[in-house]
Parts: sequence; structure tokens; C-alpha cells
Amino acid sequence: MALLEVRDLSIDIAGIKPLDGIGFAVDRGQILGLVGESGSGKSLTALSVMGLLPLIGGRVERGSIRFDGAELTQLSEPELRRLRGRRIAFITQNPMTSLDPVMRVGAQIDQVSRLHLGLDAKAAAARSIGLMERLRIPAAATVYHHYPQELSGGMKQRIVIAMALSADPDLIIADEPTTALDVTIQAQIIQLLVELVRDRGVALVLITHDMGVVAQACDRVVVLYAGRVAESNSVREIFASPRHPYTKALIGCIPRDGMAPGSLAGIPGSVPSVARYPAGCRFNPRCSEVLPLCPEVVPPLERMPSSGEVACHAVAAKVSHG
Amino acid sequence: MAEPARDLVQIRGLGKVFESRKGLFGKSRSLKAVSAVDLDIPRGKVTGVVGESGCGKSTLARLVVRLLRPSEGRITFDGVDLQQQSNTAMRRLRRRIQMVFQDPYSAIDPRYTVADALLEPFQVQGIRLPAAEARAKVAGLLDMVRLGREMAGSYPHQLSGGQRQRIGIARALAFKPDFLVLDEPTASLDVSIQAQIIALLEQLKAELGLTYLFISHDLGLVRYFCDRIVVMYLGRVVEILPEPRAKPRHPYTRTLLESTFAPDPNQRRDISRLTGEIASAYELPAGCAFAARCAFADETCRARVPELMTDASGHATACFHPLN
Repeated sequence: MALLEVRDLSIDIAGIKPLDGIGFAVDRGQILGLVGESGSGKSLTALSVMGLLPLIGGRVERGSIRFDGAELTQLSEPELRRLRGRRIAFITQNPMTSLDPVMRVGAQIDQVSRLHLGLDAKAAAARSIGLMERLRIPAAATVYHHYPQELSGGMKQRIVIAMALSADPDLIIADEPTTALDVTIQAQIIQLLVELVRDRGVALVLITHDMGVVAQACDRVVVLYAGRVAESNSVREIFASPRHPYTKALIGCIPRDGMAPGSLAGIPGSVPSVARYPAGCRFNPRCSEVLPLCPEVVPPLERMPSSGEVACHAVAAKVSHG
Repeated sequence: MAEPARDLVQIRGLGKVFESRKGLFGKSRSLKAVSAVDLDIPRGKVTGVVGESGCGKSTLARLVVRLLRPSEGRITFDGVDLQQQSNTAMRRLRRRIQMVFQDPYSAIDPRYTVADALLEPFQVQGIRLPAAEARAKVAGLLDMVRLGREMAGSYPHQLSGGQRQRIGIARALAFKPDFLVLDEPTASLDVSIQAQIIALLEQLKAELGLTYLFISHDLGLVRYFCDRIVVMYLGRVVEILPEPRAKPRHPYTRTLLESTFAPDPNQRRDISRLTGEIASAYELPAGCAFAARCAFADETCRARVPELMTDASGHATACFHPLN
């Protein structure tokens, strides 16, 4: 059994149902990419796993989130609080949402290990500085005494990662951790995350809209569209032989070496808002392979004979016709 | 008859310094946003400017359309020196030089309908259009950016991000300009929409014979869309690639390329050597601004600013130790 297993997750926020039947699994030492455009439900999936939906007035309506054998949807808030920050860490896009602007960054990292591991001040400081060095923060012992606003965006994000690592978590959920950063800094942070997973055997759910980041870092990929899983597979298969028309089109939207001028076409239309999800397959109004069935019936997520899972009537028809 | 000059825009020795003050009584400090930029923008081509935060690319864009006045240097547009123009003359020239902004939402007045927004440029230019002609203009501009004519009565908040950016482009096209400065026009859009907008810009360029200056942080996108690539770092041009596939010689451009992930798990980059942060534009070092992060830097690099040297192929590099 995988460390984190999400099955058939559907949520409700004030009568609106932005996630419908999301499922994926991630194991120790593995990086799972949750990829999709805005409105695909990536961040809500993260909030669901963290048990933070009540913060935005939402709740899990159906499905299961199993973490290391425990059913998270059944845990009380105090029980969840013991997991969050300790065994499951969360890294957000904007480091300033995680950092207290009037507290020195070192003290903020210390807090995590003092609270969750019961370290004393001296041991916590030593641990924090060690982590900062691990994350290649130059002059870590000096930066330890800085305030967040004295640091660059990339350094702030490293501090947030140090906080995430401080209690030695088993699972990290990183929601667009490099989106706000410059590309050369993004590359360094992604490299750090990959090393952490390999060296420490952490499980990482990497939420991103960037197919380049997915290709660089992930082992497995789940492609989300409008609150549902469109396709999931190993990173190699997703890029080498994408099956869902949305996955194909999404990969086709990224300029790559050797692409002829005029060959970048985009996907017609735009992602529908939650209030206006079309019936049947939610991608059908934008799809180039649409069948009469598609606007009527929701395609189930089906296991493919070779590998991966796809939710598409056109793919299912091709598979059953050999 | 004489051929028009190859270059639509010529930039010489362009510089921009911003003065700022920390607090009301604080010490004033100056930020060199753009220094000593020489750049020719050829007609009918897409010149890309790429770089990270603080490299001066957006300041350069604003200087070129004269939203900002340069601290030094000269910009010539189709043989006309922009510095010598009166405000009235400059307003007329603006019909030919237009800009598309990153955030179309803040570029359009939320109380305006799409039709109002598309007609605003005429108002600004003091042109009164008869109602029938105004309607025809709006319809023509909407056609041009592939939006339905029924959209004329919509308000910006009713549009998607991609539709808003199409309105931003349509507005820039109102006076049939020669030259569009595109400042990160797709940076806040989803990739599927970004690709639509790039495709539209490609079609418009072919249909209208436009010249583009395309500002972006995305080297992958610039390599796809642009004919020439200008790489900036902390206010200076460090390299000009004469064609998008040219192999970078400046260590910074190489770093930028290595940091740009290809959408292909078989082409994973080895980025373990990448280190360092972008310095503050307030505290520029004496020599090459990239020296602190550069594996090849020596005493010369830290002492002197390397000049931008152009070879016979038009490949320009500002580096004492260019790579082969």
C-alpha cells in the first residue's frame, strides 16, 4: 500500500462541487506531479489532503484519503493537527503566506522542531542552521537572524522548505513552489526537492501547471481537467504517448526545440468555471476528437491495457476495437 | 527610389536611472535599470528580449514606446529621433508605435464596454468617429483578433483572460501601427491560452506586416517565437543571438538555457552546478554583473564591464571568456 492513497475524492464548497472523483497514490522516494491549468482543482486537492478544506468552508463529500494506513477524512481536527507540519508538510507558492514578516527566519524554522520534536532552543537552532546549509543557503548562521523581507524570493522559498523539512516529514505537498521565482532560481529549488526525495525517501506531491517542471522532476503524473482526472501514467508514458486529447493538446501547447513556426495552436476556448461545467466529459467543448456520447455521459477513468488510466470515450472506443 | 532602412528602430547608448528614497528623510539611492543599450530592431521581424527579474526588459519596453524618458541615449524610429519630437508630434507617432501589456485587466477601464475600450485610442488621439464608422471599426478590430462581434457590449469582467488579452491586442491595432512592443503578453495566461495568443500574434504579423519587440522571461517561448534574441542581465544586454537556435556563448545565457526545462523527461537537465542569486540592481558590482555567479569569472571580470562585441554573423556577446 502506498504512503498516500487518494480514492474517488469529491468535495463540496457551499453547494459547489469543484472536485469529482480524484484519485492518485504516491509512495516514499517518489514524486507525483499533479498537473493542470487554472481551475483544474490542483490546489483544492492539496487542501483536501491537508485537511484544510474547513478553512474555506468546504468538506469532503465522498471518497477516501489514506495516509500510512490512517483514514484522514475520519480524523478529528486535533489529530490532523498532530500530522500537519509533523508528518505531512505543505509548501505554498508564495513564501510570504507561510512566513511571519516580524519574526526572524531562524526562529520560525526552530518553532517547527520545538513544537513537533520537542527540541530545546539550542538543539532546534543547530538543526535549523544545518537544514539551511543543506538547502545551500550561503552564510546560513547569519541568514538565520534575518527577517523575511531581507531575503530574496528564492531564499524565502528555501526557508519555507527548511520549515517543511524541520520535523522530518514523510510526505511533502508542494503547491506551485517555484511559480513565483525566476527560472534560474526555479531550477535550483526543483533540484533541491528532487535531491530531498532521493536522499531522504520523502514522498512528494508536486502541484504545477508547468509541463517542463513535470518532465524534469516527476516519476508519475496525474493530469487534472476541470476537477476530474483526465489521465495518469508514468512521466515517460505521459510525454511519449499521451492518450487523452487534453493531455496531447496540453503538451502541444509548449514550445519545444525544432517546432516549426505557426505550429503552436493552443486549445480553443478556455477552462470552464465551476458554476458552468458542461455535462458529460468536461473537456468536450474544446476537444478535437469529440464523439456524440461525450456531451452526454461522463467517461469513467479506465485502466489501459499497457499502463496508466484514461477518462475518455474516444480512447475507450479505440482500445475496445483493438 | 531608396529602400527603407533595414532597421525600423535604432537604439543607441540608452540608459535609465530611477532615483528613490527609503522613507521621507532617508538617503536617496539610484537604480540603474538600463545601461548603455545599443540595439537595432529589423523591420518585419520579431526581436525577443529575455531575462529575469531586474534585468531591465520591461524598462526597455517602456523607454522604446516613450512611456518613460531615457536618462541618456537615443531612440530613432523609422529615421525620426524620438527625443527631438514635441508632445504633439509624439502623440501622432504613437499611432505607429503601440504596446501590449502583461495584464490586460488593469489596462482596460472596468466600467468600459469592449466597444468603449476599442474606441478609447481614437478619443485619446482627438478623433471623433461618426456612430456608424465607430461600429464598423469595433467590428473590424474584433474580427482581426478572432472575437465574435457580439462581444462589443461585454464588460472586461465578463471576459476570460485570453479574451481580455485579445482586446488588449485589438486596441493596440486600432491605428494600424508598424511596431508593437509586447511586454510579457502571455505571462499571466494558462499555456493553452498562451499558445492561442502566440498563434494570433504570428497571424497578425503576417497579415499586417508588423514588427515586434517581444519581452519575455521564458527562453523556450522566445526561441520558438522570435527571429533574434536579446539577452539582458541586470540592465545590460549580455548577448544577442542572430537566430533563435544559435548556440549561446555568454555563460549567463547558457545558464538560462540549462534552467529552462524541456517538456521531455528524456532531456532532463543536470542543474547541480547552478548556484547563486541575482544581485540587487541597487548595488551593482564594478565589473560584469554576472561575475559573482559565473564559473569562468576572474579578476578582469570583477574589475571591468565587458563590452558587447559583434562578430560577422551578427552574434554579439559581452563576455571576457565567451564559450564556444
